[in-house]
Amino acid sequence: MLNVENLHVSYGGIRALKGVSLRVDAGEIVTIIGANGAGKSTLLNAVTGFLKPAAGTISFKGKPLSRRPDLIVRDGICHVPEGRLVFANLSVENNLAMGAYLRNDKKAVAGDLEKVFALFPRLKERCKQSAGTLSGGEQQMLAMGRALMTDGELVLMDEPSLGLAPLLVQTVFEIIGEIHKLGKTILLVEQNAFRALSVADRAYVLEQGRIVKEGKASDVAADPAVRDAYLGAESKAGG
Amino acid sequence: MAQFLQQMVNGLSIGSVYALMAVGYSLVYSVMNFSNFAHGGVIMFGAYFGFFGITLLKLPFPAAFVLAFVGTAILAVLIERIAYKPLRERKAPFLYFIISAMGASIFLENIIIATIGPTFRTYPDVFGRSSIALGPVAVGRLDLIMFAVSAVCLTGLVLFVEKTRMGRAIQASAYNMKAAALMGVNTDRVVMIVFAIGGMLAGIAGVFFGMKYTVYPQIGNITTKSFVAAVFGGLGSLPGAVLGSILLGIIETLVAGYLSSQFRDLIAFVILIGVLVFRPTGIMGKTTEDKA
Repeated sequence: MLNVENLHVSYGGIRALKGVSLRVDAGEIVTIIGANGAGKSTLLNAVTGFLKPAAGTISFKGKPLSRRPDLIVRDGICHVPEGRLVFANLSVENNLAMGAYLRNDKKAVAGDLEKVFALFPRLKERCKQSAGTLSGGEQQMLAMGRALMTDGELVLMDEPSLGLAPLLVQTVFEIIGEIHKLGKTILLVEQNAFRALSVADRAYVLEQGRIVKEGKASDVAADPAVRDAYLGAESKAGG
Repeated sequence: MAQFLQQMVNGLSIGSVYALMAVGYSLVYSVMNFSNFAHGGVIMFGAYFGFFGITLLKLPFPAAFVLAFVGTAILAVLIERIAYKPLRERKAPFLYFIISAMGASIFLENIIIATIGPTFRTYPDVFGRSSIALGPVAVGRLDLIMFAVSAVCLTGLVLFVEKTRMGRAIQASAYNMKAAALMGVNTDRVVMIVFAIGGMLAGIAGVFFGMKYTVYPQIGNITTKSFVAAVFGGLGSLPGAVLGSILLGIIETLVAGYLSSQFRDLIAFVILIGVLVFRPTGIMGKTTEDKA
């Protein structure tokens, strides 16, 4: 579904990606793990059109990626950005309506809204409330719900568990599984490698702008080098 | 009491025109996060478009009025495309935008001085000088029309921003451009629409100021006041801009009526500084957290 070939991206004068190739097939959950500054967010921002590649190609459903972020959304890629970026000045309801900005099929939009509320009952309770008054976890749910409202087939998630309490981290990963069950393909970028690998089908390890390892998530999780570098204490504690 | 009411009515009328200018300022600020100092130039062009529409083209007032605000809407969009868009694309710091805005403002003022000349011109008397009695208060026809048209425009703007899909996209972009683009909003088009609306309202304000006072190349300096009003109400907030403008208009006419018109601007600016010292975000200022 998504094909990235030999991607080079410079960001702020630094070559953040140096020849990254990866693919995400329809129906998969693929995760990219890596340390802070490895280039994970740069990769997602290139896929959503905010950063222009210096070299390499990105294609989606067999066609070259559109050039502008709004056209990429129209093509069917949605993005739950790092830091959530919910519209704090709008109500929860209007945040979700923004997700359906490009859609005119009122019936389908109403149906998707029901699905989002089923997934996040808390959002339904807080429908009229301003998004700025939500807690961090609720904002993360809103950011996910809003992305689902775009009806994109491929959902990019950038550090969805960042800054959340451990209990909520658990919830967020359960929700990622639920979203997958709705038929979405997911590309997940996470620092919490242990959780990400446990939910994903396949994984890529990104180090200093290069893919250093790829494979089935369970194989990557079992790799001694990966365990040393990314899983550390958590893998021991979590088994 | 009658005098007080009279001053309130005058203040409301002038304040509503300040509001037309202030909301344009505020809209651009809320989306782009910089003060568009070229706004005054657009207002000045509106005053000239209306003036020449009536005198040179011999248009009836409504047609000249439409010519003025359509002209300024186009002008504002052109300024954005030429002076700001290249900076946006390079993600330039906001200081560059302000410098570019000042350049555009100086350019607009001087192109009028160079071509039409620096003389003051007076609009022909369109509405008549007689006033309408509302109880103890006499309201000039022009004041009444100014207030009515401004009220209609401001209500229309609020409905547009609150109730339409594009209005919601403007609010979303004002909070965070990137997040709005992730929803499929063409943020470049949002910027264009915001400038077109701001320019349109500036043109309307320009015609009214030209009619109330005179038309001259520096008439745009009056935007300093709408800027004060926008900051006073809270930059980036539309209701704040309207409230700040009405308050400023009323304060001005009260000071002019009871003290002296010499003190009018002095006191208005002292109040501005006071507001900024005690409430830096203005009366209804937007929070700028998370704004890149």
